[in-house]
Amino acid sequence: MSLLKKSIVVLLIFSMFFTLTSCTKSSLTSRENEYLIKVIVKKSDHDFWAVVKMGTEAAGKEFNVTIDFDGPTDEEDIDGQIRMVEAAIEDKVDALVLAASDFIRLVPSVEKAKQANIPVIIIDSTIDSDIMDSFIGTDNIDGGKKLGESLISVVGTTCNIVVVNFVKGAASAKEREVGLLSFLNNYPDVEILETVYCNSDEFLATQFTKSLIKKYPQLDAFVCLNAYATVGVARGIVEEEKIGEVLVIGFDSTPEEIAYLEKNVIQSLIVQNPFSMGYLGVKYAIAALNNEPVPKIIKTAFKEINKENMYLPENQQLVFPFVD
Amino acid sequence: MKKDKTKFIKKAYKRSKKHFRIDSLQSVITLSFTSITLLAMIFIGIAFYSTFSENAEKNAASSMQQIMNQATLNLENYLHSMIEISDLIQNKISKTSLGNLEEIDAILSLTLEIREDIVSVSIYTDNGNLLLTAPKHQFDNSYIVTQQNWFLNSLDTPNDYLFQPPHVQRLFEDRRPWVISLSHGITNDISSLPQHFITNVDMNFSVIEQLCSDVVLGQRGYIYIVDASGNIIYHPQQQLIYAGLRQEDIEEALKKEPGSYLDTYQGEKRITTVMNIEHANWTMVGISFLDEIVQNRRNLNALIFIILLFGIVFIVIASAFISFKISQPIKRLELQMNKVERGDFNIDNLEVKGEDEVKQLTKAFNLMIIRIKQLMSQIITEQEAKRKSEIKALQAQINPHFLYNTLDSIIWMNENKKYDGVSEMTAALAKLFRISLSKGNETISICDEIEHARSYLIIQKIRYKNKFAFKIDLPPNLCQYKTVKLILQPIIENAIYHGINKIQEKGYIFINVVKEDTFIKFEIIDNGYGISKENIKKIINQESTSHHSSGVGIKNVNERIKLSYGSDYGIKIDSEFEVGTTVSIKVPLVTE
Repeated sequence: MSLLKKSIVVLLIFSMFFTLTSCTKSSLTSRENEYLIKVIVKKSDHDFWAVVKMGTEAAGKEFNVTIDFDGPTDEEDIDGQIRMVEAAIEDKVDALVLAASDFIRLVPSVEKAKQANIPVIIIDSTIDSDIMDSFIGTDNIDGGKKLGESLISVVGTTCNIVVVNFVKGAASAKEREVGLLSFLNNYPDVEILETVYCNSDEFLATQFTKSLIKKYPQLDAFVCLNAYATVGVARGIVEEEKIGEVLVIGFDSTPEEIAYLEKNVIQSLIVQNPFSMGYLGVKYAIAALNNEPVPKIIKTAFKEINKENMYLPENQQLVFPFVD
Repeated sequence: MKKDKTKFIKKAYKRSKKHFRIDSLQSVITLSFTSITLLAMIFIGIAFYSTFSENAEKNAASSMQQIMNQATLNLENYLHSMIEISDLIQNKISKTSLGNLEEIDAILSLTLEIREDIVSVSIYTDNGNLLLTAPKHQFDNSYIVTQQNWFLNSLDTPNDYLFQPPHVQRLFEDRRPWVISLSHGITNDISSLPQHFITNVDMNFSVIEQLCSDVVLGQRGYIYIVDASGNIIYHPQQQLIYAGLRQEDIEEALKKEPGSYLDTYQGEKRITTVMNIEHANWTMVGISFLDEIVQNRRNLNALIFIILLFGIVFIVIASAFISFKISQPIKRLELQMNKVERGDFNIDNLEVKGEDEVKQLTKAFNLMIIRIKQLMSQIITEQEAKRKSEIKALQAQINPHFLYNTLDSIIWMNENKKYDGVSEMTAALAKLFRISLSKGNETISICDEIEHARSYLIIQKIRYKNKFAFKIDLPPNLCQYKTVKLILQPIIENAIYHGINKIQEKGYIFINVVKEDTFIKFEIIDNGYGISKENIKKIINQESTSHHSSGVGIKNVNERIKLSYGSDYGIKIDSEFEVGTTVSIKVPLVTE
């Protein structure tokens, strides 16, 4: 009798031990597959960031990780973004994908995350540090070169142009201009009549456009280095009724720019690929988590969009992202 | 150095052998129990695994087809519903006078209201003029329909329902929804000249996307849809493909007949399932990754392995435990038995516990030990008693009192010149001592015993001046049989002292020897005083103390007979007061 009792006790202990170990094992494996990756962008509801979000979600689905997408309602709300990063560190997220609202002020937060052993991938807009695992964004020098290529293909190798830059001293503005000029160096017959700075002000850009058209009757084209400059110039062309006479090579693809492109006011746009940024951001965050080598800088490609190719299947989604 | 090592190993082996004997009950039970269970577990594991892994790929493919069948059906239903709308408009147009377009316009508006998934419906004449459209938005003039491929295709094959891949609708100004379009040619027969029209129904792409993104094929698997010329209708990572971050082997998939195929793409083994979608001439392609199935298989492997491992550990421990429990009492028994084997009977009663069989064994063993102990002590006391009796018998051989008295009688007779008596008595005395010594032998022939009795009787008869007479009846041929010596003399002595001496008349003593089948009976009969029943017991159990006695008492005789021949033999006394006493002595028929 006592033998039977003892046997049962031993059996029970063993089965308990067995179920315990099997439980811990299965819970471990399931945890492994479900990384939580926090994505914090500059603005939560905006076309550009919505496409970034689609990219992160596509990667989340492909690599079986959970994506938590967030961002302040206002792009200027730098404190709000800092708070979000800090909260993410508190929550012990597995990795952080960040589009920094500010070049300087986000640095301490990223450092804190790195100290907490959280991989950080910066997308689109970087910070004044190289502590992050990777930066994924457009190379502004390449962007400038693309503008140049587009100009040559639209207007030709002999032309007079005006360059409309945005903020004097801004790194991206400078880089895009350097890229453009270095490319145009190969074409001696391209004459840059003037370079103006519109301070990212559409109205100012329009004013410049109007006066410059009058000032340079031989003017063939405007090369605009960002979206504000492009829209401002396009408005000026419409107002001066120079559609098709003075051509516009612009940057980015806001709905207004696309509308001008369709109406022949703008001939060509150099666009970025926010989907790729989101997708690659998550992809390399996972790579960093798995201790795989991650390139320090990843350049996402630019694409030239014009009226002819904007409705091609491969470009349609870039120009008209389907956002829910 | 090397030798030392081998020595050490040998030692260790010996020691382990000592502790773990392969033929011990415990190890036999443990080993057999473990190996049988292990064999069963391995067999079940292998059977389970092989059945699962054989079917894993087939199952994956067939479940994939089931899921995709459902998705295809949903999609076909949806496409069919669009065709129905297109047909409805076609019916109306073909039977309506073209002057009366308001009715058709109302139908278009109604359709749009009912079907939220329809973005727009428009009807063009064959030269590209927009006849009717719903909803009513600002028409985008930059959109020239006669330059669009779908319009030209519909003009070429007006009877086909042409579905266009997802695209941005450009019909209205500032509106760029993502749509899938269905275009179809119509002919109006009512007017005198048949007129041709093209209808175009635009559906919201998100419906298709919804239908497709709901399809789940494992963790990483997915479906995509392409049209006949390889344009992507739906792909979960369409953007990645356009951005060049992803490749898909669409051409390969289009070449295949519907069904499931194993293939390798970009280093990954996949199951590709191809299915045709009716109405639209589209192809649905499902991709599911083999490593997920392999992963499942690996998980199963791990599970089986873990179960096996724990099973083995558990079984080994459990069987060791059980066999220990079974063999422990037996082992204890064995230990005690070893002691007994060495001759040590000083063990306490073993505790009776354990299984029934072991209990029985222990009980029997205990009983046996007790019995052996009893027998041993019995033998010891018996031997002691025998030794004592023998010593007493020896003493009796030379009882000095008897000798003095007899010698006194001889002297007395000699002084009175009764020389006959002297020579007779001296001869009898010599014979008595010769026989009683008998070279130290314990047994003598029956004839010698009778002669011994006769000598004693002769001596006593003379001493008692013929107060009694005696007669001995010894049948012939009994001299070959032997008996313990000096058994008759004490009886005769008793008969004379306590029987005949106490009566006035002349006494008689008869000694008969009777041979039976298995024994010989001596009978000593006297006509003496008789013995009371209490005294009979006393006589048999009492040592002789009388100094007249020639030596040993009746008890000694009885004991010696019993010790030598067993309890079946011995003395029996029958007596009647004032009539006489009969003493029967029974000894076995032995020749040594």
